Amino acid sequence: MSETPVLQVEELSGGYSIGRPVLHDVQFTVNKGEMVGLIGLNGAGKSTTMKHILGLMSPHRGGITVQGKTRGENPEAYQSSLAFVPESPLLYEELTVREHLEFAARAYNVAKEDYEERAARLLKLFNMEEKADSLSMHLSKGMKQKVMIMCAFVARPPLYIIDEPFLGLDPLGIRSLLDFMIEMRAQGSSILLSSHILSTIENYCDRFIVLHRGEVIAQGTLAEIAVQAKLPGAALEDIFYSLVKGGD
Amino acid sequence: MELQELRRKRKSSFWSKVLPFVPYVIQSGVAVLFLLLLIAFAAWYTNFLQNIPPGLPVLWIMLLLLGPMTVYSSFRTYMQPADIIFLLPREADMKQYLSPAHRSGVIYKLIGLFLILVLVWPLYIRSGVDTKPLWMVLLVLLLLKVLSAYGSWQELRITTVRARMGYRLLRWCVILLMLAAWLWQPAWKSLIFMLLVGVNYVLALRFPMKHAVAWDNLIEAEKIGASKVMMWLGWFVEVPADGQKVIRRRWLSAVGNRMPWQRSTAYRFLITKTFIRSELLGIVARLTLLGMILTGWNGASWLGIGLYLFFTFLIATQLTSLHQMHADSPATAFYPLPSGAHKTEAIRLASRLLLVLTVLMWIPLALASWMDNLMWVLLSLVIAVLMVFGLRSTWVKKWKDEDE
Repeated sequence: MSETPVLQVEELSGGYSIGRPVLHDVQFTVNKGEMVGLIGLNGAGKSTTMKHILGLMSPHRGGITVQGKTRGENPEAYQSSLAFVPESPLLYEELTVREHLEFAARAYNVAKEDYEERAARLLKLFNMEEKADSLSMHLSKGMKQKVMIMCAFVARPPLYIIDEPFLGLDPLGIRSLLDFMIEMRAQGSSILLSSHILSTIENYCDRFIVLHRGEVIAQGTLAEIAVQAKLPGAALEDIFYSLVKGGD
Repeated sequence: MELQELRRKRKSSFWSKVLPFVPYVIQSGVAVLFLLLLIAFAAWYTNFLQNIPPGLPVLWIMLLLLGPMTVYSSFRTYMQPADIIFLLPREADMKQYLSPAHRSGVIYKLIGLFLILVLVWPLYIRSGVDTKPLWMVLLVLLLLKVLSAYGSWQELRITTVRARMGYRLLRWCVILLMLAAWLWQPAWKSLIFMLLVGVNYVLALRFPMKHAVAWDNLIEAEKIGASKVMMWLGWFVEVPADGQKVIRRRWLSAVGNRMPWQRSTAYRFLITKTFIRSELLGIVARLTLLGMILTGWNGASWLGIGLYLFFTFLIATQLTSLHQMHADSPATAFYPLPSGAHKTEAIRLASRLLLVLTVLMWIPLALASWMDNLMWVLLSLVIAVLMVFGLRSTWVKKWKDEDE
């Protein structure tokens, strides 16, 4: 018997107003220990899909389960099973970097010893030790993004939803993030990652979901979507270009 | 679009968002209570003026009331973060956009200042000190206010934070000193003193490096100005409390660090840290201090107990804004916080703080009167504590209804 996917999105239709859905029958899964790239043009529906998964929007039709449970069944357990890194950092101006990590750890019920060990490691990895006691309002955009990423990783839930994480990060930060995501994946965590930097994620994601105008137009491994685009052996960028151009 | 026209549109857009709340402010019970208190104060003040205690430090009272009002200065520019991109190319023309802010920054505050002067004037002329003519006092206050507004505007333009803070401190000292000189010294002497100090102060403002237009500082100041209006509205009706000034207060950084390590305390941690760095803490601290002074002064008299209960209520009104802190923050939705944590923790913090401050304000009252009037001293505490619990249950019900 196959293992239950960590994230299952089934025939999801939804959007900002009834009768005008942005998403049309979106269907995909993310399995345990898998990193899946969600790619699409601006306005394709990536962030809307993520908002539905987070429970910030309600589907018009279809359903979403995380570890086999819907949000309606147990909102707290559902929310505890995932961590989100939004495209634009959303931080509390009144908290320092360290306090953000502590708040996230408390909210996700992380043991204090684990929090201390994880926070120390993340601060070092993302080169933020010197800024640990600075208020978030005094950080640059890239640093704020690092705080968001660290808050997600201090929690260690089974599923990470990460929206455009590389925006504003310095090259070292991008490398640290990619390395850490690989480590998390190796430990069994699942990651749904949206990014426009296709050349970067091409080598890191196990599978890809191509979203175009609210529909999944291709999904699978790099080789599988290359076949769907009739471009075997091509790079992700070429495959994507061919798919979305064909979809127009 | 002309820059003056742009400012006018932004101003009307901001106030069109605020004005719909005004009828709710008038309808709210808090507004009625303030009105009743105003009437009670007027009655008490009239009586007080007829029996002014001998040796009352009238000049000090005037300095205390008029000083901060004269020095305090702020500007509403209605500037927005995007202006750094879209208005920067027109930096040379920004004078026409900003000059109305200078005028309104002085005019509206002058109204408040003159009202306080009118209020304190009968006390001044009955006090027996060597009084100066009203028109001269008005003129001096106007000049000092303009000087303070000029200094405050120059401070916004200063490039370094340290120099800005230094000049702010200098402005407070200089204006208070000039006002004190005017109150205590003969007119001709104090005018010479004010002229000399004023000229030196203006010259001193020329030294630090300044921006032509301090975009970041002006946008930040506007954000704070707008949030203050919303905070004031928040005392009466439910409005978002975002965008308020954050103050580092390193000496309070450890507060909240020793909370029990549980999921249920996550929101408590957030709201406590937010509170210690908020303007609300400053407001509540100032009110408590003023309450302690007034209750200590009046003891367990009717007036003392009335003031004690009034300040307890006033602080409670301020603390209700804890309910709005992070209420609409999208970030809160990302974290698996226990259901209802927002409301529960806001009530918990507000009621505990209120209880502590109620006892704090009671101490000077008790020290002043426990020997003569022990029963009333104890009774005042019992009434205040009952009021705290009453307010707490009102919050529980009201916020529950709102959430539903």
